[in-house]
Amino acid sequence: MTTWSLILERVVDDDRVFKALADPTRRQLLDRLFERDGRTLTDLESGVEMTRFGVMKHLRVLEDAGLIVTRRSGREKLHFLNPVPIRLIHDRWIDKYTEGPASMLAELKYRLEDEQ
Amino acid sequence: MTSVDAGSTQIYQVFIKASPEQIWEAIIKPEFTSRYFHNARIENTAEWHTSHGPDGSLWGDGPVLEFDPPHRLVHEWRSLYDPDLADEEPSRVTWEIEPQEGGYCRLTLTHDRLEGAPKTAESVAGEGWMFVLSGLKTLLETGEPLRKTS
Repeated sequence: MTTWSLILERVVDDDRVFKALADPTRRQLLDRLFERDGRTLTDLESGVEMTRFGVMKHLRVLEDAGLIVTRRSGREKLHFLNPVPIRLIHDRWIDKYTEGPASMLAELKYRLEDEQ
Repeated sequence: MTSVDAGSTQIYQVFIKASPEQIWEAIIKPEFTSRYFHNARIENTAEWHTSHGPDGSLWGDGPVLEFDPPHRLVHEWRSLYDPDLADEEPSRVTWEIEPQEGGYCRLTLTHDRLEGAPKTAESVAGEGWMFVLSGLKTLLETGEPLRKTS
């Protein structure tokens, strides 16, 4: 069922994910959820130099891109990292390039940086 | 709203261009799951959930707690595929299928009650559910299983 409309819809999804990831604060918020999942806004806000409103805006962009899923728990809203969209981008884009020389170079970079 | 225990809950979500019925079939029938679920042959009936590896060994089983086709499936989870995880407490897996515009469905997978199963939590959080859900999407949208990447 790989039709043009399906491909176009995927492009729109990918755009949202790439745009969401193109901001350092948003990547930092995702990293913090990776460390510990299911955090509240207050908790997330305490780790970044930004107003509550600013953090809320970033969280909304991440939610629209499907990178976080929220759940209410009593009076609180909890934020969960959803890595599936990143996996889908990986499957579609990165796999093609990483098999072979590109993955060796990435490996070399990590090793050298680890040694420092 | 039910309360959510942040520390022992994982939530994954994916949009799939398929009908709720197609997604439901792919979740409950072993001939589908073997193509995207780490080769596991999984069967979910209204009463019981079982998972078998390609060699026929039991990878997991437990009662089905809710069976509402094609919307909602809740079952217990035990990680019998790994001796290190097999002795842990059972946890719970919830599948929710919600129709969206444009022929899409939103599939949400919640794996919770993991407080008694920290090793399972770690194991499914890595490649585990992510690979399952991206594989399910690819299978339903293209008819092909994902290339095995590792």
